Amino acid sequence: MVRYLVHRLALAVVVLFGLLVATFFMIHLVPGDPVKIVLGVHATPTAVAHVRHELNLDRPLLTQFWLYMTHVLQGHFGYAFTIGAPVGEVLSQRFGATAALLTYAMVIALVVGIPLAIWAARRPNGVADNSIRLGTTFVFAMPAFWLGLMLALIFGLELKWFPVSGYETGIAGFFKTLTLPAITLGLPLATVVVRTLRSSLLSVMQSEYIEAARSRGLTERRVVGKHALRNSMMNTLTILSVNVGFLIGASIVVEQVFQIPGLGTLLLEAVEKRDYQLVQALALLAGTAVVLASLAADVIQAYLDPRVRLAQQ
Amino acid sequence: MHKTSASIAAGVICVLLLAACGGGGGSSKKASLKGSAGASTSAACQGAPVRGGNLVYERQAAAETLNPLQIINGNGDIFAYNQIYSGLVRSDPNGGSRLEPSLAQRWTVSPDGKTYTFTLRPNLKFSNGQPVTAEDVAWSLNNFGNPKVNANMASVAVGYDKATVLNPTTVQVKLKQPVAAFLYNISIWPAFILPKDLVEKQGSAFYKHPVGTGPFMVKEYVKGSHLTMVRNPYYWEKGKPYLDSIRYNFATDSNSRILALRSGAAQIMDGLPFSQIASIQANKNLRVQSAKVPLFMGLWLNHKNVKEFKDINVRRAIQYALNRQQMKQAIFHGLGQIPNSVLMGFDMDAGPNRVKPYPYDVAKAKQLMAASKYPKGFSVTLQYPSGYDFYTQMGLLLQQELDAIGIKVKLQETDPATGTSNFLAMKYDMTFPFASFTSDVTVPDEYADFVGNAANGLNGFFSGWKDPAINKEIDTFTTTLSNSERVKQWAKIQGDLLSQTPVVNVMNLPFVNAHSATTCGTAIDALGSDHLEDTWFAGGKGGAAATTAATETTTG
Repeated sequence: MVRYLVHRLALAVVVLFGLLVATFFMIHLVPGDPVKIVLGVHATPTAVAHVRHELNLDRPLLTQFWLYMTHVLQGHFGYAFTIGAPVGEVLSQRFGATAALLTYAMVIALVVGIPLAIWAARRPNGVADNSIRLGTTFVFAMPAFWLGLMLALIFGLELKWFPVSGYETGIAGFFKTLTLPAITLGLPLATVVVRTLRSSLLSVMQSEYIEAARSRGLTERRVVGKHALRNSMMNTLTILSVNVGFLIGASIVVEQVFQIPGLGTLLLEAVEKRDYQLVQALALLAGTAVVLASLAADVIQAYLDPRVRLAQQ
Repeated sequence: MHKTSASIAAGVICVLLLAACGGGGGSSKKASLKGSAGASTSAACQGAPVRGGNLVYERQAAAETLNPLQIINGNGDIFAYNQIYSGLVRSDPNGGSRLEPSLAQRWTVSPDGKTYTFTLRPNLKFSNGQPVTAEDVAWSLNNFGNPKVNANMASVAVGYDKATVLNPTTVQVKLKQPVAAFLYNISIWPAFILPKDLVEKQGSAFYKHPVGTGPFMVKEYVKGSHLTMVRNPYYWEKGKPYLDSIRYNFATDSNSRILALRSGAAQIMDGLPFSQIASIQANKNLRVQSAKVPLFMGLWLNHKNVKEFKDINVRRAIQYALNRQQMKQAIFHGLGQIPNSVLMGFDMDAGPNRVKPYPYDVAKAKQLMAASKYPKGFSVTLQYPSGYDFYTQMGLLLQQELDAIGIKVKLQETDPATGTSNFLAMKYDMTFPFASFTSDVTVPDEYADFVGNAANGLNGFFSGWKDPAINKEIDTFTTTLSNSERVKQWAKIQGDLLSQTPVVNVMNLPFVNAHSATTCGTAIDALGSDHLEDTWFAGGKGGAAATTAATETTTG
């Protein structure tokens, strides 16, 4: 188990390093001079040169990369000069909103997805199953920005249950401002939960131990809840962890639609203005989240299922 | 059980479909606003202004810094500065290029135009109650004039020498040369007056809770989210501002801004897309406001990269080939203004009788192409910023219209940052260089110099064009003091530039905002800036308390 863990961690480090290299060169090679973008056409050449020097942009690209790597390894993520604050400070200001949104979306995905999956799996190809499958296809096909706008239109503008955009902290503020965005993010994810959980449930429900449980006279609720569901959840959790990347990607759009001051809107601003160090830090953060989520899923699975960890040896 | 589940699932789908139909529609009525000053007065605003209320303003660009000498986000920063700080003089709040006294009560100019003497209003105070001293004024102006401090806007401090304190209410400014636009240059943010002692003592921390002489003062500033400001009790205009507070919500997405306005959570929004004007006008609780500002669709031609653009017949042919009337209706919903200048429209511009605009005349354009060195036509690439439907539409129309005279246009959509960089590096054939292309001052001096002054290092503002004769005219214009002389000179320069067509002004555009019908006193000055000190709510009520207003739903 320890050997497996070390192996996986080493892989994760390699992936993150690759990500760092890729984002560094991608953002630097895209045309667009951040200094000129920020300082504008009025700045004197001296002022432009001064800022370029401060940001090390006047050095060869490989030197810049070396400087950047050594700084990152020391825990310095640089200065977000289009915002005028250290990257670390900017990230910590924006992290909370995104973390809250993603967690809330995940909870919604599970709360909506699990009951629907069970409902659908109970009578495969029944009316409920077919309607749910049709519904999930429909929801999954909707782009996040459109779904978000529609929810804002219906529940914000027409029904006035929620504000159409904005963000507030505190428990009440959290539910008031994050519910619609979390539904926008969580619904497509719920469809993933429904689909995987339904098919796992179907295969589990045909196994002999379920038959045995039924023959012992257990109620259907107990058979599904206690035996079938537990054995089917593993796949779903793995799929969900793989979808963390999707979730982070979609959160950029959703934050933009609902004007949530999180990491997603920050990334958009940073890319638009070519704030190199901020883009890099955000890509690294998102990458780390994805890598950690899949690592966690692998480890849990390996822990629960010896076949997985033995296969690596 | 089965039936219920099926009908719930079906119900969900129906709701979503209905929403899709209901949301996508909108009014098909054509937008039309009478006059450029913006038909926005509603009956509710006829009476005397009422004090009180909290305004929520959905803004496209975020304020990224409150330090007026380190602007980094264009209008996002400027519109915040304009509420918190003020300068010695200001643009007429109701539009037009007239300047009026602000912190200075009056001023005199020496006959050689190199010495300005300003007399401050008596008993001026900053928003923390401390008096505004002549030292504060001189120090702030000297920062404006110091290219090391005012690095980002150094070009507006052209000709500045130094300011000295003559007595506690008088400050004298010396210039190295006469600068016709000097008062205009100090009417904008880099020359706003700050408290010397506080800034020196607190350094960059000052700008987290800045103190100024504007109508409002900062209460809460959350970067990337909102900026809440409350009434400055020491503001110099008696009885103003009327509003208790204003809150800028930063919302880059235009749909979000529109929804916030329509739901009543906000009372004003900026950056209304042209395509949405009709649907906002159809709502009786809302008003669309358009204001004449120096904003235009500047089509830049690269004289260095494209040899064909060196031929004046080709440049003029392009002017004649543009069907501006069609563009105005089809793309700008009637709100564009057909230009008679190659630069953005200025108050000082001569009218269409004195300087005639190019009419749409394909036959004439073809004649000019035939007379040029390139009668068989040529191919160019047009770059334009992505993310703006009107640029995409404009690109397609231009492609079609120039094709008719033998110029094959390849369209290249670039993200705004790349487009601007390519422009500054002159890596383009034809380009719309900025998503929003405006002048910083209300007089033509800045852009005339940018484009026409070969000595400024800007290469004909990155067009690669120069013309010694027009250059000389511009030099004289920017240093002439008499306004009546300048008006005459400008008409000549405007005509000469239009005749030479170094670049093309495709269309003058207004600033288009929308606000609730009960929000009054929303006039915009000639730079597009609101004067929220004049804004008030009919009935005295607007949004909810500003701190939570973004999420409250009150009907407008």
